[in-house]
Amino acid sequence: MKIFTIRIAFFALLFLVWYMVVTICKIPPYILPSPFGVADSFYYGFLKGAYCVAIFSSLIRVLIGYFLALGLGIVIGILLARYYLLDITFGRIILALQSIPSVAWVPLALLWFGITDNAVIFIIILEAVLPIALSTKNAMKNIPPTLIRAAQTLGSRNLHLYKNVIIKAMIPELVTGLRLSWAFAWRALIAGELFISGMGIGQTLELGRSLADMAQVMAMITTIGAIGFLTENIFFGTIEKRVRIAWGLEGGK
Amino acid sequence: MDEIQSKIKFVNVSKSFLNHKKEDRILTDLNFEIFAEEFVCVLGPSGSGKSTILGLIAGFIKSNSGEVLFNSKPVKRPDSSRALVFQEYALFPWLNILDNVAFGLTAKNYSKAKARETALEYLNLVGLSGYKDHSVNQISGGMKQRVAIARALAVEPEVLLMDEPFGALDQQNRENMQIELLRLFSKTRKTIVFVTHSVDEALKLADRILVIGNKPGRLLLDITVPVSRPRDFNSPALFSVRNKILDKLADPDFFIGADI
Repeated sequence: MKIFTIRIAFFALLFLVWYMVVTICKIPPYILPSPFGVADSFYYGFLKGAYCVAIFSSLIRVLIGYFLALGLGIVIGILLARYYLLDITFGRIILALQSIPSVAWVPLALLWFGITDNAVIFIIILEAVLPIALSTKNAMKNIPPTLIRAAQTLGSRNLHLYKNVIIKAMIPELVTGLRLSWAFAWRALIAGELFISGMGIGQTLELGRSLADMAQVMAMITTIGAIGFLTENIFFGTIEKRVRIAWGLEGGK
Repeated sequence: MDEIQSKIKFVNVSKSFLNHKKEDRILTDLNFEIFAEEFVCVLGPSGSGKSTILGLIAGFIKSNSGEVLFNSKPVKRPDSSRALVFQEYALFPWLNILDNVAFGLTAKNYSKAKARETALEYLNLVGLSGYKDHSVNQISGGMKQRVAIARALAVEPEVLLMDEPFGALDQQNRENMQIELLRLFSKTRKTIVFVTHSVDEALKLADRILVIGNKPGRLLLDITVPVSRPRDFNSPALFSVRNKILDKLADPDFFIGADI
């Protein structure tokens, strides 16, 4: 409770300083609007529904890309874990791909797909497929062999062994992969949306720039941060923590 | 009970692993037999291939030559007739204590309720039914091993294989577990094959001790312990068995034998 109070006080102070700087130095709103300007932008954006539509369209886009990436990534991960030859060839490429920021794929995606949703989804898949593929591979390789042997001497085999031991042993690592993939997908979504037409958070951000509406730009940046934080840290973070405690990998309670 | 039934038989069994392209001989020309309701300790120094013997009986290691017979049939793959208890417990951390014990029963197509009901009986047998809802990381090492034993007994194996099961426990816990195991043995009359490197542990537990020599593992001594339980460590009979074993383990031939 004490931490909560400190946080509230900190943000109150931050907004106060921000407001004072803007008013005292007479900074024009297209350079830095006051906190009330940004609040206004949120208010009218949500009231008229433009921001709601933007958020909704972006979420649909990112979810499509994310789930396609998961399907593809899990298959790739399983193949990499099972076939050594594939791991030392294709597996290398995957590691290299990880160091390319999503925005570098934009020109390629635009040439292939035009300024459409497909271009963004393509970029999301490219980015999000890597962490889940690597997590799946590691999860498969790190199953403790004694657990499998113990299960076998208790009469477990085939489907029972897969369902109750192999997949269960993989879950903590997989959940980490799910979280990382989501974080990558979210960043790729925004990068891609800056360049395509239609509704979305990225497009609304870019529209704010072209209209010199800094309040809208800041409202969208806040939105990106807020949704990212809620999904990555609160949603996936909580699941990951619970799984790690349930699997005995972290102390809890 | 009149006729002694052979459970496990090793016929000229040899095993080697490939280690950096070099053949590493683990066991050589092993011949022995284990009978029903016998408590046999496999005793030997580290690296003598004791665990490999259990792996061969359990069925997840294949011999290079010779035959491992279980009920007179060659061992093909692991199954619940030969359940194994590991030194590192190998409990499933995502299941609670009761469901760990019920695990093997669900593999036998028991209904969930029936599996849990039976599992509870076995938890009771090791005195841990009060901990059935605990998670694996909430209980001590000794309790984990009792759960692992209950889990193995629950599938009603014909043979219970134990790979240095008390090796990770402190002295006090180890002694308690030995007493506990003897109690379970006299109650269930399972055939038990127990691997250990402790001479005193073997003397305390076994009806018969197979002493395995090092590099490559081979049978040095097959000796019956002719003393009834609970055993008095001051009894002359036990003393003489102990000396025979120590003699064999200290035999200079045994060390020279390392280069065959």
